[in-house]
Amino acid sequence: MRTAIVSGAIVALCAIILISGSGDDTGPNAFIIIGVSQGAVYGLVSLGLVLVYKGSRVFNFAQGEFGSIAAFIVYVLIEQVRSMEIPYGVAALIAVIGVVIIGLIMERVIVRPLLNAPRVTLLVATIAFALFAIGTQLLLFLPEPKSLAPIISKIPGGGNVELFNFIVEPQRLLVLAILVVVAGVLGYFFSRTDLGLAVLATSQDAFATRVVGIGVERMSRFIWGTAAFLGAVAGILYVPLSGALTPGVMTSGVLIPSFTGAVIGGMTSLPGAFVGGVIVGIVQALSNWGSGHYYLGERLWQDIVPGGPDVLLMLVLLLVLLIRPQGLLGSEA
Amino acid sequence: MAVLEVRNTGIRFGGLVALNDVNIDVPEWEIVGLIGPNGAGKTTLFNCIMGLYQPNTGTVAYRGRNVSLLPTHRRVALGIGRTFQNIGLVRGLTVLENFMVAQHPRIGYGAIGALVGVPRSFAEERKLKANAMEVLDFIGLSHLAGSQLDGLPYGTLKLIEIGTVLATDPDLLLLDEPTSGMGPEEAHEFGDRLLELRKTLNLTVLMIEHHVPLVVGVCDYVYVLNFGQILTEGLPQQVKSHPEVVAAYLGTEVEEEEGENVPA
Amino acid sequence: MATATEAITAPLPAVEHERWRPSTAGWAARLTVLAIIFGGIFWITAIVPQYWADRISLAAIFAIIGLSLNIVLGYVGQVSLGHHAFVGIAAFVAAYYVTEKAGCTPEEGCALGDFALGMVFAVVSGGVAAMLLGLVALRIKGLYLALITLTYGFMAERSIFEIPFLTRGGAGMPAPRPDGFTTDRAFAYLTFAFLALVIFVDWRFLKSKVGRAVLSIKHSEPVAASYGINVTAYKVLAFVLSGLFAGMAGGLMAFRATNVVSNDFNFSIALLWVLMVVVGGLGNRTGVIFISAFFALFPFLLELWSWLDHYVSGSFGRSLSVVTVTVGALLAILTVIQFPGGFAEQVSPITRWLRGQKFTAHPEGHGHAPKEKGEKKHALLSKLGLHKGSEGKTDGASEEEAKVKEDVDA
Repeated sequence: MRTAIVSGAIVALCAIILISGSGDDTGPNAFIIIGVSQGAVYGLVSLGLVLVYKGSRVFNFAQGEFGSIAAFIVYVLIEQVRSMEIPYGVAALIAVIGVVIIGLIMERVIVRPLLNAPRVTLLVATIAFALFAIGTQLLLFLPEPKSLAPIISKIPGGGNVELFNFIVEPQRLLVLAILVVVAGVLGYFFSRTDLGLAVLATSQDAFATRVVGIGVERMSRFIWGTAAFLGAVAGILYVPLSGALTPGVMTSGVLIPSFTGAVIGGMTSLPGAFVGGVIVGIVQALSNWGSGHYYLGERLWQDIVPGGPDVLLMLVLLLVLLIRPQGLLGSEA
Repeated sequence: MAVLEVRNTGIRFGGLVALNDVNIDVPEWEIVGLIGPNGAGKTTLFNCIMGLYQPNTGTVAYRGRNVSLLPTHRRVALGIGRTFQNIGLVRGLTVLENFMVAQHPRIGYGAIGALVGVPRSFAEERKLKANAMEVLDFIGLSHLAGSQLDGLPYGTLKLIEIGTVLATDPDLLLLDEPTSGMGPEEAHEFGDRLLELRKTLNLTVLMIEHHVPLVVGVCDYVYVLNFGQILTEGLPQQVKSHPEVVAAYLGTEVEEEEGENVPA
Repeated sequence: MATATEAITAPLPAVEHERWRPSTAGWAARLTVLAIIFGGIFWITAIVPQYWADRISLAAIFAIIGLSLNIVLGYVGQVSLGHHAFVGIAAFVAAYYVTEKAGCTPEEGCALGDFALGMVFAVVSGGVAAMLLGLVALRIKGLYLALITLTYGFMAERSIFEIPFLTRGGAGMPAPRPDGFTTDRAFAYLTFAFLALVIFVDWRFLKSKVGRAVLSIKHSEPVAASYGINVTAYKVLAFVLSGLFAGMAGGLMAFRATNVVSNDFNFSIALLWVLMVVVGGLGNRTGVIFISAFFALFPFLLELWSWLDHYVSGSFGRSLSVVTVTVGALLAILTVIQFPGGFAEQVSPITRWLRGQKFTAHPEGHGHAPKEKGEKKHALLSKLGLHKGSEGKTDGASEEEAKVKEDVDA
């Protein structure tokens, strides 16, 4: 119920801004559209983060790298294995499967042995994994940015999509669509299927679920595999939009806003994850527009406080954790 | 003026009312018992007295001085000492170091001075260590000075905890189930030691206990706490056979009906 | 039993402390080993080429950073993933001061006094920045605090390190080395001096009430508070101390590189520093120093194989190479899963031996003895004569004490 209210509010707000500013170049409209699609990416990553938190009670700092690795695999298959002319879709599928396997390996090698260790220890392990991934990417690909084409660069029959008088890359709409689909599938899964309900139960009380007979190991594998899947999808969709494929691209660009989104939505709430992600995307876009548009004295905001949007985001995170740690839709601090 | 005066103290956690309008007086040099079933709020009351929790209502006064707004470490410095249900010792430190931490408020050098290594800090540390060793010698645990706490038997840990609390030189001692884990003989012996301590160290004691013979034998006055409220208070003998107190512990109404035995 | 007075003033019975002490020869052996180690470090610094001495100073700086993080990670028990913010801010502050305010230039160099003042500002700015984190840490802990530190670090990278007057854009802010220490070798000795200072303060920290208080707080705040420890003050103090060390390291980094560029301080290096401390052994000074130095130095050993060259040069700013990150991450995973005590635990037989204990492969036992019953307990409960200036306990108490003692010893 709350989810519906919050989502409705966001949609309404966006609609108001877009419709009222339609045609006006100085308004934030273009930024809103970008913000929503960015938010969709954050939402996908946040879903993975919340899933892992519910299952393993830890923040997965490697969540971003699932995406970076997937993007690099697609890049290699498309750009570097030109001789075979692999279709994009196939390459994406291979990448996703590959990353899911990596996620499962990570679960087996790092998460399982540390099942009973303090959560901070597991946190450090995910950090180590993320750094290892970034280091490997640098070793294999060197720091120079590469470019990765999007899945959809043109819609059939036309070029870009026109929305509210602004030109929107089709990939952005694709991201949004995929987020909605994923959210729907996960929502159905967790409320209707046995395994899904079991996962939710595990997050409440691991001992009880063991007693009832649900395999905790199976749960853990499922959670980390799904998180890897979500991270991979987010990476493949996002990197072409970001303009450059560099080692650690997801961790430096997407991970922090996604965490912020997860916290805002509530670390224990799956719907909260994608709602929070979208909120962060919109807030970021608005503050980007604002700092380039408004003046303090004679100078633009962004000249006085460089990186204003990042500062704002951090303050938002701090505020939420201090005032309402359970976020908008979460149930515990 | 009592050493400790708790007035109208109440605290709630979310929707749960843990304490409601609790009033307790602990006169000087008395041993006052605080009994009640598990979950009644006894440890919560201790936490409020110590300042670990901030009650929503009421005040705590120590020797006539309102300490309700003082942080815990200031109350300790005034002379309130407290033991914990689950052994309040620092497990990362050795036995000796625990005794040294216990004397923290009375150490004669400042933190900054310690860090830059003023000569006074070295001298005080030596004195501190000597004091602590002296105490350990007396309780016969000096061979454990350098030991970690893990793995030491429960009784030894209890002894060390009492030692460290007394090392803070308290006037008022809050004991949280000091005889938990002890059999009846040991509890009785503890009672004797407590009476001696009161004499030699001029202590005033507020004690949470479940051990009825001990309470009857040692306490001058007893309060009964149930569901966060004072059920009744009085001399130990009176309280012990008070029907409501019995009911609170046994969980049922005690009915004197012929032939009917209503067990717990 | 004699009179009360005699009972009190009689000397305490001698108690066997049962603690093994090395012989004179044993101490001599230990001191020799230590002399070889430290002497070796100095000697190596003296004879290697200048550019190696430059790397050695980086090792010392990393060691300072390791000790700084060790306070938060090991002593306080929280995770700081944004330490590069403290180090970076300090570096920029030091460089800004000597160049913009003191007027040092790369051609004319820098007076020692200006350098000293620059270092002071660096140290203070590190402390202030860390204090802010400490205040936040009063309310937010654990995983969420780690997230805040990560976010804070990113914010510093994108915001503070982009402020034009502080950073001079891409070119960076110059920081010429002080006169007398312009060569790499001399600068390395300078960093040793600062490292020694940090080790001294850390030693005093652990051996005094400050360290005991912080460790007590880490174990249990209620217990610490009931020992009379001001939990809030000591928590913030620990963070400030960590920040002071980080600030020192930042200043040194500025002068070592002779200019400061924001690219030097990024989230990867901050994460690596955390892994560094974990591999070294949380809370263990020796392990942390050693592994920090190792992380700084070992990539350069790979120069022996020229085909690795392009992996060695810094892809994470100038002081961090890809190899360090990748290998460091692997070591961290290994440590966390298999060897939780880190490097420190692996070398603990040696470090314990050096500290004057017997050389054994396993740590000393707890020395359990059967519980002493009866009289000794009485003695404790009656003696505990640690009163100082407590009213109403003077004469009355000592007489009672003597009486109890009489009962006991009779």
